[in-house]
Amino acid sequence: MVIVMKNRTGQLKIQQMAFMLIAVTLFFVLVGMFFLVVKFSNLKEDATGLCEKNAQLLATKLANSPEFSCGESFGSSKVNCIDADKVMLLKENIAKYSGFWGVSNIEVRKIYPIEAEKTCELGNYPDCNIIKIRSKEDTSAYLSNFVSLCRKESYEGTVYDKCELAKIMINYEYGEKC
Amino acid sequence: MGKKAYLQISFAWLFAIIVGAFILFLAIFFSIKLINTEQTIQDAKTSKEIGILLNPLETGFETTKSTSISFPAETRIYNKCNNKGTFGRQIIQVSQKSFNKWSETNIDVGFSNKYIFSEEYVEAKKFYIFSKPFDFPFKVSDLMLITSSEKDYCFIDAPLKISEEILFLNQENLLVGNCSTQSTKVCFKGGDCEIKVDYDNKRIVKDGEIMFFEGDALMYAGIFSNKEVYECQVKRLMQRVDSLALLYKNKAVFISEKGCYSNLDLLTLSNLANSLEDSKDLFIMSNSVESIENENDLGNCKLW
Repeated sequence: MVIVMKNRTGQLKIQQMAFMLIAVTLFFVLVGMFFLVVKFSNLKEDATGLCEKNAQLLATKLANSPEFSCGESFGSSKVNCIDADKVMLLKENIAKYSGFWGVSNIEVRKIYPIEAEKTCELGNYPDCNIIKIRSKEDTSAYLSNFVSLCRKESYEGTVYDKCELAKIMINYEYGEKC
Repeated sequence: MGKKAYLQISFAWLFAIIVGAFILFLAIFFSIKLINTEQTIQDAKTSKEIGILLNPLETGFETTKSTSISFPAETRIYNKCNNKGTFGRQIIQVSQKSFNKWSETNIDVGFSNKYIFSEEYVEAKKFYIFSKPFDFPFKVSDLMLITSSEKDYCFIDAPLKISEEILFLNQENLLVGNCSTQSTKVCFKGGDCEIKVDYDNKRIVKDGEIMFFEGDALMYAGIFSNKEVYECQVKRLMQRVDSLALLYKNKAVFISEKGCYSNLDLLTLSNLANSLEDSKDLFIMSNSVESIENENDLGNCKLW
């Protein structure tokens, strides 16, 4: 009778310990999962931050990229000058440049003289003020930089350069493409 | 006689020890995994940051720019390149030393619009980045030349404009004359040097291998790179030349409607760029590049 009682107490202790161990394990697993969730949400923030930083720096330099820049085609070398004629043709072949700059949208918007918004196509160019070079649906804020937008014009057979004030605007992409 | 001694451990103790050891094992295992993941994340972030920090180094109409990047720990920057797709891809991998061991790196951070020239990997806490525009004949891109602060390059008998440019850069690990014994010697007129540049014949001999160049930007690129990286990046640059040549060809047609005429043989340049096998073919392109450049400079309507 005494032996039976001892066994019962022992079994109870083992059960208590097993429950305790399971509880401790579950506690650590939950703490670990919480830690991972916090960690990975920070990681996403970091990645977004890097993409934004990339876009910010790119916005200041994109106008000097050979696909956009005026070079010396409007007199001497100009910094932050966009060749509108070249950009219109780039727009027509933009599929080739998918993921090249790591941004989802690139837009050049004429800001002076102020006119009603009109998107540029080859048919209405240069009587327009927004050149949408890449346009994807995107809700992230635009990052921009002031540039001069130059093109060749002709008047009574004489070719001249026309430059206007514009803004280059960029939306950044998330993930691998950024 | 025959009396044996037994260790008296109750089942409860045995159970607790086994399960406790298992829990401890799991905790240690996941901690190590987490530390490794953290290190990989750090490496990937650093790679991305390096790429992003290269953006301000893009030149406008300046000729060269030099800057440095420092890391808190000993760092290796692996430079990889592939030329698949329209423009190929610049790949950066970073490995950092912690507890005297290099972190294992297998995360590729890629950029399509960057061209980095360096050895297969560069190792230091501080790196110098020297950027120089590559024109062929129009501006193609800025070449980023990465060197370790622990490796000095000493230029011997360099042409005056190269010596002046290096002195103007004021980059600590680039020396003109006065070579130390540890520095890597770059000779322009032969001699016992690690890197030999034949400036007139536009070729570089390094580690027993020959690289060909056109223009000073590619010459510097060849000096600071290994052959594999150099050839791959030259091919990527030519992929961009191909696209830009077609863009300028379309622009020529477009502005001719406004009475602005230019008649450059950009289609030939595009075809030559497209068919480039290695840097040896740059020589074939040089005549075409030179004549296009002259025609554009002399024309009434400059395309670039």
